Amino acid sequence: MTILNDIIQGILLGGLFALFACGLSLMFGVMDVINLAHGDVAVAGVYLAVVLIPASHIPALWIFVLVVPAFMIGGYLVQRYLLQPSLDSGAITTLLVTFGLSIVLENVLLEVFTANSYSLNVGSLVSSSWQVSSQISVPYLDLVILGVAIVVLVALQLFLVRTRTGRLVRAVADDREAAELVGANYRHLFAVAAALAFGTVAFAGLALGAYTQVSPTAGPTYLLYGFEAVVIGGLGSLWGTLAGGLVLGVATTLGSQVDPNLGSMLPHLVFLFVLAVRPRGFFPKRAVT
Amino acid sequence: MSTKDESSTGLTDKPAGLAAEARSALSRRDFLKATGAGAFAVAGGGLLAACGSSGLKGAGGANTKEIVIGYVSPQTGALAEFATPDNFVLGKIRQTSAYKNGFRIGNKTYKVKIIEVDSQSDPNRASEVAKQLILNQHVDMVVTSSAPETTNPVAGACESEGVPCIATVVPWESWYAGLGGDPLKPTTTFKYNSMFFFGVPEFAGCFIPMWRRISNDGVVAEMFPNDADGNAFRAAWPGIIRSIHYTPVDGGAYTDGTTDYTSMISLFKQKNCEIYMNCPLPPDFNTFWKQASQEGYKPKLATVAKVLLFPPDVVALGSLVNNIATDSWWSPFVPYKSSLDGQSASSLTEDYQSATGQQWTQAIGSTYSLFEVAKEVFSLASDPHDRQDVADKLFKVDYEGICGPINFGKGPAPGVGIIEPVGVQWKPGRSGKFTDFHYAMYVVDNSLNKNIPVNATLDPTNA
Repeated sequence: MTILNDIIQGILLGGLFALFACGLSLMFGVMDVINLAHGDVAVAGVYLAVVLIPASHIPALWIFVLVVPAFMIGGYLVQRYLLQPSLDSGAITTLLVTFGLSIVLENVLLEVFTANSYSLNVGSLVSSSWQVSSQISVPYLDLVILGVAIVVLVALQLFLVRTRTGRLVRAVADDREAAELVGANYRHLFAVAAALAFGTVAFAGLALGAYTQVSPTAGPTYLLYGFEAVVIGGLGSLWGTLAGGLVLGVATTLGSQVDPNLGSMLPHLVFLFVLAVRPRGFFPKRAVT
Repeated sequence: MSTKDESSTGLTDKPAGLAAEARSALSRRDFLKATGAGAFAVAGGGLLAACGSSGLKGAGGANTKEIVIGYVSPQTGALAEFATPDNFVLGKIRQTSAYKNGFRIGNKTYKVKIIEVDSQSDPNRASEVAKQLILNQHVDMVVTSSAPETTNPVAGACESEGVPCIATVVPWESWYAGLGGDPLKPTTTFKYNSMFFFGVPEFAGCFIPMWRRISNDGVVAEMFPNDADGNAFRAAWPGIIRSIHYTPVDGGAYTDGTTDYTSMISLFKQKNCEIYMNCPLPPDFNTFWKQASQEGYKPKLATVAKVLLFPPDVVALGSLVNNIATDSWWSPFVPYKSSLDGQSASSLTEDYQSATGQQWTQAIGSTYSLFEVAKEVFSLASDPHDRQDVADKLFKVDYEGICGPINFGKGPAPGVGIIEPVGVQWKPGRSGKFTDFHYAMYVVDNSLNKNIPVNATLDPTNA
């Protein structure tokens, strides 16, 4: 019974990890960008929400209607004017640029908000749960986060498969030169993919803000989980990312059942194990399909 | 040969220190100035250290007519909440006549300069900046505040460099162990260090009366992380809990930053823990407490340490914070006044709230007292630049200031002055100068210090 509860909580936690990872997965899958600022962007989302909630009188639960579009625009601009020029001069440069972006974001947040940590107050959602039995309860907040993760992944998938722009994004991801020959503007398409990735990471940040309390320097910790989910799932595969997140979540809760310290270590051990036996992850795919 | 060794360590230390400086918000000009000053200090560093260790007099103070006090606190980073009132308090201190006109020692008046530096909540950085204060700024004393991550490395650096140091807002056991002493056999005297705050016995004296009022013979859930504070608590608390015939249940030594507490919550529910206590990092408590509420663990009384000391954590937790109890070492409700200018605690708090527009925090009192104690120490000394003499006086201070009476000669260990805390609870605000906020801190149990009046009733955290 306890084990069952652990697995349920682990799957719910995995939703948060997966939501966190899908933006990383998308950016890697489409333009081979490993975005080291991913965690910091998520944290910036929380701080933006903290500013916007009192200003707009929108409840914390619905603040994503402002934060997500703002981040999508930001993502488009960052890709077009910051990452694209660096991509043109090599993969290592891009990595360094995202690293720089991470440091700049952290310090800007420290400067503006000091080191005070914030949480998003989503009201009674945070404390209520569905009591299945005396030992199993399903927190609504976690359920909502898992739901958002699945909706976001399905929506991304549909966009990439069903829409013209989505097909073009896949085309430039698969073979940029060929796509360019038939008239695709890869710079615009890369920026579209980045906009989507930043939109998902805004969702992840808001989920994190409701789930716990974040400080300006909290980003890199979550970046690590995001990375591991992407690698376990297979680089560039969206469904693999969901699977990777769930595996990490369950490893966390099962590990902490044995020993509280193992809860933080087991996900990393699982990650190492997967790297050793299946270096390309469970669902390896070069490009997003 | 040995001189050569020392100066070479000075050289290798230097670039790391400067890199850290560059990371902080210094302007380019300041940075260049610091680099210049650094270059001189490297040359002198080995010599200075040698003077300190051989006990020569007059090693400090570039200017003999000026006393320089360094202040290290975590202005940024995970523990920055502790340092929120720093700017205000230092401003107040600098306005007092003693600090404005200088200290009168013997028949000379010495100007006083305070240099504040940021530990960034990072032990390595704390140690680095303490050494810079000592070697580059030639401070006569270092005062430091707010959690072992800052105070312990600073105290360690001062002990090894032979500079008097006063610490606060750190459990004395953790401070003492950090310097290399054994808190269970506190016989070792650290020559250059003293501190004032409280320790495990005071936590117990503060929490246990509250437990008894809510739950008899209860089972106590312990959430202690695998870090310095957590392990100190784990060593001390099970014994204390058994001695009052309650039953301790240890949730296990989890890592700071854990994201899921399901197994711990199940254990606490299964053992029916009516009392809950902890000493986590603030974000971890936020995660835990939300999950506990979701998964149906509702202890009758939560007494927390290290978190919910200050308003930002409280705001972050929202209404879930209602009736969680913690300890308070200072508040506007204490009947004490400044030893520097006689201003009362409540009037100081009013000034803080009107100057900053922010809710008061208990760190105002402890930071203020650091500078009261510093002045007491220098007043007892015959030469403020004689580090030996000043260090001896660290143990002689017995005074009453904004934190109440503190006697450094009668503590549980040499150089430890004890403040008696009271039990407080966070409850919805009500009209009043110090409670008109969304949530405010109220004194609910004064078993340890009857001088501080109770101003609200102790209510169960979960009825």
